[in-house]
Amino acid sequence: MVPSFCRNFPRLGQAVKILSGPSIYNGATPRVSWQLVRQMSDKTPHVETRPTVRKPDCYVSAPMLSEFGGYVAECLPKYVQKVQLTSGDELEILIAPEGVIPVLSFLKDHHTAQFVNLVDIAGVDIPSRANRFEVVYNLLSLRYNSRIRVKTYTDELTPIDSANEVFKAANWYEREIWDMYGVFFAGHPDLRRILTDYGFEGHPFRKDFPLTGYVEVRYDDERKRVVCEPLELAQEFRKFDLSTPWEQFPNFKDASSEVPIAKEDAPKEKK
Amino acid sequence: MSGAVKAGVRLTTGLTGLKVNHNPKHTLGVLYGKLTRALNKLPQDSAYRKHTEAIIKQRSAIVAQGATIEEIEQKINCGVIEEIIIQAENELQLARNFNNWKPWEPLVEKPAPNQWTWPPTK
Repeated sequence: MVPSFCRNFPRLGQAVKILSGPSIYNGATPRVSWQLVRQMSDKTPHVETRPTVRKPDCYVSAPMLSEFGGYVAECLPKYVQKVQLTSGDELEILIAPEGVIPVLSFLKDHHTAQFVNLVDIAGVDIPSRANRFEVVYNLLSLRYNSRIRVKTYTDELTPIDSANEVFKAANWYEREIWDMYGVFFAGHPDLRRILTDYGFEGHPFRKDFPLTGYVEVRYDDERKRVVCEPLELAQEFRKFDLSTPWEQFPNFKDASSEVPIAKEDAPKEKK
Repeated sequence: MSGAVKAGVRLTTGLTGLKVNHNPKHTLGVLYGKLTRALNKLPQDSAYRKHTEAIIKQRSAIVAQGATIEEIEQKINCGVIEEIIIQAENELQLARNFNNWKPWEPLVEKPAPNQWTWPPTK
């Protein structure tokens, strides 16, 4: 152990020297380069060339993914509403909420899909929509080295079928979404809160949940214990400026491109 | 032990928890037969049935013609033979479930007008 460490040590020293050699943290340099970058991006459309930034693979994987998206839509016309490619090469299948279990089990069990890993389930709250909650399933196929995203929607009262019978990993993810958004999953074996404290009320990731919460917890010196009380703000704020000073939907972000779904009548005409 | 190696019996799949199947050609033949029967219950013009039948036909032809297990694995090119069995089992379950779900029917529910627009409407 010790000799090998000694052997490696000189090399380590060299590496450190090389790194610290050019004066990277030389006060003025970063600011100048930042301004240069801004000037350039104002004039010409910005093409990403930095090797450390991932660029979407628009030539190989994007056509294959859009073809696969069309295949899924062809096989499951009852549930697939829309298929789109986001950020250049991320396939999204947008489905009706009735189709959660059929679509997920198709993607898991079909020979040409084999998305056997459920990476995550996410929730999104958009109060301006009739169905305000989106539920997003991220799947991974190790066999074909590919990822796919399945999106569906619901509102506060409509339950969604639990994906627990297809993917065991969905158990805790669905509890998270129940806790944070209050989306009810029908058929879940153990739908409890998972992230918030005992006795917590409300769903904190909803947009109408106040930033301050409803209760405050503090140590009470007289009672010599931690007490939980309804929130009292020193000043009652009545006027909120809720719009942030930053750009919410930046212009550089590409809109997702829709993959056309073949018409349902097409195969019947062939026959 | 050494006798088994000489006889060409595979000792391991190389994957944790996946046990060697000593008669994979027979297992696959049975599974593909069951799959074909399950698919026959689905409507003729459903895309799922057509595509899956093509896959099954191709794979069962390779399994029938292949002399050795290695040859079959190389031709199918989808993992070791035990994994191919698992894939067939999954597909069988899916085909049977599809008989209940009927996913070839027209769209159950059209999305609300602004459901999938981004950025969302105010």
